[in-house]
Amino acid sequence: MKLLHLTDVYKIYQEGQENEVRALNGVSLDIARGEFVSIIGASGSGKSTLMNILGCLDVPTYGEYYLDGQLVSELPDRRLSKIRNLEVGFIFQGFNLIESLTAIENVELPLVYQGVSARRRREMAEDALERVGLADRAKHHPSEMSGGQQQRVAIARAISTRAPILMADEPTGALDSRTGEHVLEILHGLHDGGTTVILITHNNELAETAERVIRVSDGKIVQDGKTAAEVTR
Amino acid sequence: MNIRQSFKMALKSIWSNKVRSALTMLGIIIGVAAVIILVSVVRGQNIKMKEYYESMGTNKVNISAYVWNGKDVSQQLYDFCLEQSDIVVGVTPNMSTWGDIKYRATNTSAHPTYGSPQVYYGSDRYSQCNNYTLERGRDISFLDVKTYNQVIVIGSKLSEYLFQYKNPIGEKISLRGYTFEVVGVYKAKDTGMNEYWSLDYMAVIPYTMSRLLDKTTQITEFTAKIKNAESVNTAITRLNDFLAKKVPENSGYFYVYSENQWLEQSDEQNKLMSNVLGGIAAISLLVGGIGIMNIMLVTVRERTREIGIRKAIGGSRRTILIQFLIEAAVVCGVGGVLGILVGGLGTVIAGKKILDILVFPSMGMTVGAFAFSVALGITFGMYPAVKASGLQPVEALRAE
Ligand SMILES: Nc1ncnc2c1ncn2[C@@H]1O[C@H](COP(=O)(O)OP(=O)(O)OP(=O)(O)O)[C@@H](O)[C@H]1O
Ligand SMILES: [Mg+2]
Repeated sequence: MKLLHLTDVYKIYQEGQENEVRALNGVSLDIARGEFVSIIGASGSGKSTLMNILGCLDVPTYGEYYLDGQLVSELPDRRLSKIRNLEVGFIFQGFNLIESLTAIENVELPLVYQGVSARRRREMAEDALERVGLADRAKHHPSEMSGGQQQRVAIARAISTRAPILMADEPTGALDSRTGEHVLEILHGLHDGGTTVILITHNNELAETAERVIRVSDGKIVQDGKTAAEVTR
Repeated sequence: MNIRQSFKMALKSIWSNKVRSALTMLGIIIGVAAVIILVSVVRGQNIKMKEYYESMGTNKVNISAYVWNGKDVSQQLYDFCLEQSDIVVGVTPNMSTWGDIKYRATNTSAHPTYGSPQVYYGSDRYSQCNNYTLERGRDISFLDVKTYNQVIVIGSKLSEYLFQYKNPIGEKISLRGYTFEVVGVYKAKDTGMNEYWSLDYMAVIPYTMSRLLDKTTQITEFTAKIKNAESVNTAITRLNDFLAKKVPENSGYFYVYSENQWLEQSDEQNKLMSNVLGGIAAISLLVGGIGIMNIMLVTVRERTREIGIRKAIGGSRRTILIQFLIEAAVVCGVGGVLGILVGGLGTVIAGKKILDILVFPSMGMTVGAFAFSVALGITFGMYPAVKASGLQPVEALRAE
């Protein structure tokens, strides 16, 4: 079994009601360790929903999700929190920073839950902020930063733990093209180091840098190409 | 993650959310302090009332005994009381006279508030029966009474007025044209309940002097001091039996009653007042509690999102609950302790300003108010954590 394995997954909101939404409508998918996968698709097609399930932040209404051979829906809270903490680095579409904490405190937070010593995690957080070009903003609160800067803090938080799987939901949405390219470089750098990377993006150019591109439409995978060009075409 | 880190995290969270933490604390401080001050002041009032009654002398039995043929029972009553020494401490006439007291150029009639003092006809047990203690000199003696000695013992306020800082012992004063020698001064004991009248602005002379001063041949009012409250009823029975023999039914009357009855009654009133104010205090605690609850609930959404983020990046349900518990306990605990300090200080100030006595909060009530506020604060501080930490991270993150 591959690292991530979805079989016939559905995510249905308000099921059976008039306003029923099938955010995922029967998705089966395998992603192997060390892959770099891009997910593309129109707005509202279900990309984030899929990613949230893959990141163990949400559960499917129907279907099964195995992560590293374990059926996620049967894992206890303790185990799940360990996975979110150690196995997956997650970059949210909406940043999701804690307002009352400074940039560096936000970046440190997953390391705190890992039990890393204060000194070591400060180093790691500083290093991560450095990599996204925000070392000079460490002591600022999210509300004191631009959208792009907040997004970069969120990226720093996700990469600070050096988790083996990195999931990025539109990590460049709020960034100019140059900074966006820089972020992509970081992702590729991590991938070269063995990290499994899953990237959601609206930018075909960015998507095409992946070795595999998946297109989602209306909650279904409509194309899954080994070569990016054939999917994004 | 260990407890030490949870603690650090909780403290960090408190510090990063200063306004919310301060408001929560304020709610608790006000609730706890209000209850402490309110209840303590009432308690102080009770204590003061008790003190007032006690300063007048508790466990007293008043006796009226009048015989038409003019024969005086005072000596027989005095002897009888001596025999009852197992329960009766002493007996003294309970009669007084008025009159200006003059010392050189000073005349009590010129006193701006009190005027002329009350002069009591006392036995050698007068001070015992009425809770006076000597400050200096000596008391009225048995011999003074027997031999019509013209001696006088004065209260501290009267002494102050007549002699200022001079030692009054051995000085001669005049009362109704008779000269008395001051032999003793009583300690101040007035609690300041009445500003136009003072328990310390008085004097005692041997009761046998009444024949000289008022030309009375008969002492009819007495006060007996009883050992303790439990013996008061026995004493009343014995005195009634005794007087029934001494005062013929057709040629006189007698009446024995205890002031403890008044005390009991006022005790009851105080209890009622305590209950009413306790109710008001409980309501104020509840209002303070609702304030705390409000602040906590207002932040639920914000905190729900925070919990979503914490879960998403690896916080387990348990870790998050522990953090929130510590956070709430610290904020409420500190608030509660501050509330106790403010309440204690407020109690002392209010006691001084309103009652003019030193009052301290009672232990039980302090602990109760503290426990209630802290429990309330923790309950509502934990509420968002308990709710949100059970959700999927994405669901918690959706709260906005
Ligand atoms: N809590 C919810 N309740 C109802 N419908 C929802 C909920 N969350 C998502 N949806 C719906 O599910 C569908 C898929 O949403 P999703 O966020 O996965 O889209 P997306 O592909 O990430 O879009 P975008 O590119 O705009 O981010 C959308 O139609 C959305 O309206
Ligand atoms: Mg999305």
